[in-house]
Amino acid sequence: MNFSYRIAYVFWRNMISYKRFVLTTFLASLIQPLFYLITFGIGMGAYIGHFGGKPYLYFLVPGVLITSVMMTASFECMYGTFVKMVHEKLYDSLIATPVSAEDAVAGDIAWGAFRGLVSGGLMMIVAIFMGILPVSLVSVLLLILLMVFVGILFSSLAMIVTAFAPNFDFFNYYSELVITPMLFFSGVFFPLDKFPGWMKTLSQFLPLTHAVAISRAIFNGTYTRGLLFNFLVIFVLEVIAFFIGVRLMKKRLIK
Amino acid sequence: MKPIITARKLCKKYGKFKAVDHISFDINEGECFGFLGPNGAGKTSTVRMIHCVSPLTSGTLTVQGMAANIDNRAIKQNTGVIPQEITLDNDLTVRENLQVFAHFFDIPRAEAAKRIAGLLKFVELEKKRDSKIDQLSTGMKRRLLIARALLNQPKIIIADEPTTGLDPQARHLIWQRLRQLKSQGVTLILTTQYMEEAQQLCDRIVIMHQGRILKAGLPAKLIEEEIGREVTEVRAPADQDDRLLAALGPLACGHERVGDTLYFYCRDGRTLMKKVLELDLPDTVHRPASLEDVFLKLTGRSLIE
Repeated sequence: MNFSYRIAYVFWRNMISYKRFVLTTFLASLIQPLFYLITFGIGMGAYIGHFGGKPYLYFLVPGVLITSVMMTASFECMYGTFVKMVHEKLYDSLIATPVSAEDAVAGDIAWGAFRGLVSGGLMMIVAIFMGILPVSLVSVLLLILLMVFVGILFSSLAMIVTAFAPNFDFFNYYSELVITPMLFFSGVFFPLDKFPGWMKTLSQFLPLTHAVAISRAIFNGTYTRGLLFNFLVIFVLEVIAFFIGVRLMKKRLIK
Repeated sequence: MKPIITARKLCKKYGKFKAVDHISFDINEGECFGFLGPNGAGKTSTVRMIHCVSPLTSGTLTVQGMAANIDNRAIKQNTGVIPQEITLDNDLTVRENLQVFAHFFDIPRAEAAKRIAGLLKFVELEKKRDSKIDQLSTGMKRRLLIARALLNQPKIIIADEPTTGLDPQARHLIWQRLRQLKSQGVTLILTTQYMEEAQQLCDRIVIMHQGRILKAGLPAKLIEEEIGREVTEVRAPADQDDRLLAALGPLACGHERVGDTLYFYCRDGRTLMKKVLELDLPDTVHRPASLEDVFLKLTGRSLIE
């Protein structure tokens, strides 16, 4: 593995290109989570009433927040990276400079995480405007850190998919078979404790479950010892996914 | 002259396919060295190893005294690459493309601005500096690729088929710029399938085929040795070969039948032409021998796919 400070240059390149799309991506990354908030939060929330002494939206917002980080980071490192690699051959010209393949891929993973943070951050702002606030300023800062942390995980996982992708259609498998089920089995919209045993076990294997649990605890200031386990799961998975993602992409880029 | 690049028994395999098969060569400082060959001859694989984006399978390759290897950032720092494919950043403007690349080479901002202004002038793209890439013609894109390859003021420039798909004006402009660079002392490595391009630019060439070097030398000398000075092409059906060869064969130093044409290679074609006039063969071309003849003789006239 051959990393250097040039990771930052790759990130910077993405930033320059981003300024042309920034408004459209704001809209795109807001719309879906916003629908979840409105339909589930306000529509369903009216029937559900209170969860642990607080309105349903306090349960829902931290979940949707982290889901939108997952979506944006994943899609950036699938479609975004694929276009740069296959259609525009940008990676080919990048690695002909002192930037290494590892720098280029890590720069894009960092970028995916940043895009995730932007989406999650926007959601947080919307929630704040709806009057759903994290318990303290410290919570806000911790949530920002968590979004970056979770963003790196899902960017890295997406890189592994991209390393194998022959075309765009390939990404459908990942988003339909992994991302979408995760949305429903990770406790984003409702607590997992009423699930039958096997479903509970299954959900423990989904990284989003752990990310949502941490997010919800930070948002509401309800810390428990179990969070350490959630954190550890994400951390270990993230380190593994990052190195495998970089390695596989390098194998694809350098022949 | 001292070599700036040395390759010994260089090999490149993709799975079982041998793209480069035990080739050895030296490239001298300040010369223009050409790799000629049909598609799939191994030219691009060879230059990709030189600029450290492709690992060697075996053999040794030294560039500026350093071992070439995919992780050798020092070689990449001193090399400019004009790629075969247009790999510009479509999301960025002309100037931003160069700015981002200057960054990759650790060129300070003020210095980069100065170099970018100079390079845009050099490739005649000053007026397009704020255009998006899709607003450029193919020739302009190729020129921008040249400017991009020069940002780091490289000692070695690798041009991988730099004029593919260009009109004659654009092609000549690029040739001029490449010659200008050579006159400034840059070592130029060119791969091409256009023989005219090799003749225009190269001091020395190697002709590659199926991963091997078939011939190496000066372009003019190769023509002289392999073909002679002149070529006479007689278009006539094959059933006339006996008659034509009896009359013309002794006057040429070699001949070859390909499709509808009989090629005669000569040192001095005047006597042969007199005979052609006597025989009254109307469909005849008499021309100087070119690198293309050498190329076709060595790599075969059949299609390579």
